[in-house]
Amino acid sequence: MQYLKPLVSFLVLIALIVSLNTQFGTIPPLGKFFDPDAGFWANAEVSLPNSDDFSFDELTGEVSVFFDERRVPHIFADNEYDLYFAQGYVTARDRLFQMEMQTYDAAGRLSENLGERTLSRDMGTRRLGMPYGAEKALEENKKDPEIFASLKAYSDGVNAYISSLSPKDYPVEYKILDFAPEEWTPLKTAQMLKNMTRILAAGSQDDRTSNTAMYFGDEFIEKFFSTKPALNDPIVPPTKEWDFEHIPVQAPDTLFKPASAVELESFQRPEGIGSNNWAISGSKTESGYPILSNDPHLSLTLPSIWYEVQLHAPGLNTYGVSLQGVPGVIIGFNENTAWGTTNTGADVMDWYEIKFRDASKKEYWHDNQWKPTTTRIEEVKVKGQETVVDTVFYTHHGPVTKVESDINEGREPVYHALRWIAHEYSNDLRNFYEFNRAKTYSDFEEAVKYWTAPAQNFVFATNEGDIGVYVSGKFPNKWEYQGRTVSDGTDPLYDWQGWIPTEQNPNIKNPERGFVSSANQESAAPDYPYYLEDDYAPYERGRRINDLLAGMNDITKEDIQEMQMDDYSYHASSILPQLLEWVNRDSLNNDEIEILTAVENWNFYNSSDLRAPGVFRWWWSNLYSGIFNDEYRSTEATLRYPSRDRVIEVMKAEPDFAFFDNIETEKIETREDVVTDTFKETVRELTNFYGEFGDNWNWGIMINNDFDHIAFIPGFGAENVYSSGGSESINATRNSWGPSWRMVVEVGPEVKGYGVYPGGASGNPGSPNYDSMLESWRTGELYELQFLKEPPTEFLYQLRFKGN
Amino acid sequence: MILVLLIAITAFLLNLFLPWWSIALPGVLFGYLFKQRGWPSFGWGFLALFVVWGGQALYTHFVNDGILSSRIADMLGVGSPFIVILVTGVLGGLVSGLATLSGSLLNVKGKE
Repeated sequence: MQYLKPLVSFLVLIALIVSLNTQFGTIPPLGKFFDPDAGFWANAEVSLPNSDDFSFDELTGEVSVFFDERRVPHIFADNEYDLYFAQGYVTARDRLFQMEMQTYDAAGRLSENLGERTLSRDMGTRRLGMPYGAEKALEENKKDPEIFASLKAYSDGVNAYISSLSPKDYPVEYKILDFAPEEWTPLKTAQMLKNMTRILAAGSQDDRTSNTAMYFGDEFIEKFFSTKPALNDPIVPPTKEWDFEHIPVQAPDTLFKPASAVELESFQRPEGIGSNNWAISGSKTESGYPILSNDPHLSLTLPSIWYEVQLHAPGLNTYGVSLQGVPGVIIGFNENTAWGTTNTGADVMDWYEIKFRDASKKEYWHDNQWKPTTTRIEEVKVKGQETVVDTVFYTHHGPVTKVESDINEGREPVYHALRWIAHEYSNDLRNFYEFNRAKTYSDFEEAVKYWTAPAQNFVFATNEGDIGVYVSGKFPNKWEYQGRTVSDGTDPLYDWQGWIPTEQNPNIKNPERGFVSSANQESAAPDYPYYLEDDYAPYERGRRINDLLAGMNDITKEDIQEMQMDDYSYHASSILPQLLEWVNRDSLNNDEIEILTAVENWNFYNSSDLRAPGVFRWWWSNLYSGIFNDEYRSTEATLRYPSRDRVIEVMKAEPDFAFFDNIETEKIETREDVVTDTFKETVRELTNFYGEFGDNWNWGIMINNDFDHIAFIPGFGAENVYSSGGSESINATRNSWGPSWRMVVEVGPEVKGYGVYPGGASGNPGSPNYDSMLESWRTGELYELQFLKEPPTEFLYQLRFKGN
Repeated sequence: MILVLLIAITAFLLNLFLPWWSIALPGVLFGYLFKQRGWPSFGWGFLALFVVWGGQALYTHFVNDGILSSRIADMLGVGSPFIVILVTGVLGGLVSGLATLSGSLLNVKGKE
């Protein structure tokens, strides 16, 4: 009996230790996690990092990495291998968790560490052919010795850092999610770039457009999707002459009608993805040299998607922002040139309805014969569960997805194959490799030939005085509107029949107007001989940029800095005066009149301290739903919604537009009715949501900017960042989307760069540096970027690497 | 009090090099050697690691300006970083207290 008590006590002790060392669901192993020496407390930064020296067998020369007061690394190396090795090392040192998560996501491997909750995301990633595309890209990278060497060097650097870590040094997120970093490989870099393609070039509304044609007819398609708004202001201005031989392409006689209205997975790009860039010729600047500006709009997260870096080696000196996991600088400048980028909405993702011979799916009908499919086995490992195995069938179009939805119940299953640019062989990294070293405009023209996807509008400026914009990427040569609806998988005329030669892509150098710009709008005027897309961003931001630049002279960096923060709403200015005219004031009560007056006195700027921007936006959204949702709800399929700039034109031109009526009521509503009703609805909803009309209706609050942590860990982001902006403004901040990096570069004999991103170099939530630039970003401040020609004598601290 | 100090110092040192559960070892050893009764043993063991873990957490909290502890408090939904510090102390204390209790119970013969 005397041993019973100690036995029980020990058993309880062991049970306690084991349970505190085990992860339960999303709860980290508590003992391990709270351990002040090796748990999360070890990640609390208690002093500045120290200078240090390291030696690695792989290195042949010496590398010095100087960190400036914002902790931006300036890497000085004797050769390229050592340079990219050091870039990999320091990037991993600041951003390891983010690097790994992004690539786990791109490879469809999140569930390995996160368990069942990410399984459907992973399955979707596999079905999209993301890993398949990454493997093909790597094969192509391997054929280019310089590029593959840079990938190898970068990987070696990342791995040198990872192998220096013991579990207590892991970033805090590993401790929360309870896993360990794994070896980095060049394939992961390829996956990282596929992730960018998924974010930026996976827009497709093929099924929705087909459905819309089926339910609302071709006239509706013509009115809203084929007709371009009169105010469109394309990236390449209409002055450009297309002096090349256009490669003809054969179109089918009649457009394919899909078997049934089906719902493919939604691949709509959220509005907010988009960007601005422009380059101004020396003829319009005070200095006489070009100025370049860029602010890519992406999901605003902590840590930031970008990592600032300077890379210096013999034959190379470049500064800018990089993507974690990718060697080189993505957006930036060097001693002679600068470049920036925005996204191109070209249609490079098409769905094909597939006819299989039988249920085995071993053969499919194409070009009047049965052709064999291939298969790819996708094994998704799931933490704490059995591995899920998925067999994906591939046609020559691409991977096949079975579409299951309520609409198809009781019908034959419908299969669709995906043709997507991300599945092409490509060596996109070569593009940035050459940008980093570009000396003249023609170097850029050569470099973009390597760019496949995601298609980008690159702007350039050189100290020789050249400026230009190049819509870059590999574009299928399509017949007009090819692929905006679901394609016939049996007919070769629906295949991507060839490619537009890069030199025939829309581009312009040194236009007469003295500037180039892009804001995701239409690439070229309608006289451009190729079809690219029918669904670009509304013209508002692009037109605003062009209006401002056309009116400016003797431009300075300060002017551009101010312009990046411009929050004028072209959208409001193009419709609000009419709404105020149409609204029936007699039916409004005193409160509603007060609010309407505030909107009436508004100057169309989306400023944080005004109440009108929120009221207008909410009203517009209710109005848009009021016009379309009743009709859209009456169909059983998911349909495509028209773009707001075109809707505004129709609203103004057609007072009797049938959709103004709410088909769910007896009464026939007019334009005035829907405008008035939705205004009242707006006031009611906003009062419920934000209380009585007052400062709590300020746009800075309603803008609803939360910066989520990249793995959505609560407390690791920044909530309710009070700010001006709007998705239709140049300062496209809104709802956790917006300018992820603002940069202004003055090229010339001495290049000068300025920039800011909302975050900090360090990815450690326990460091004051983690969100140190957020406030400067919010207020529109830019830091002067320390572009060094020589190793500096003053710095925050330094890391030195050398060979053994 | 000597028991507390011995456990605290030994556990602190072991914890620097060994996994976190090594903090249980001093409790078992000194609990056995000090032959105290059950509940006092638990109390002294608890106090030792409550001070060691809680104290280190508190120190880190202040030197770090509460940046990380506040974020962790948000993540756990507990409102205040001081609760995070308290939990740290209590977790260490529980393990050590139970270990010291177990050690003392083993030496039940010595007491008789």
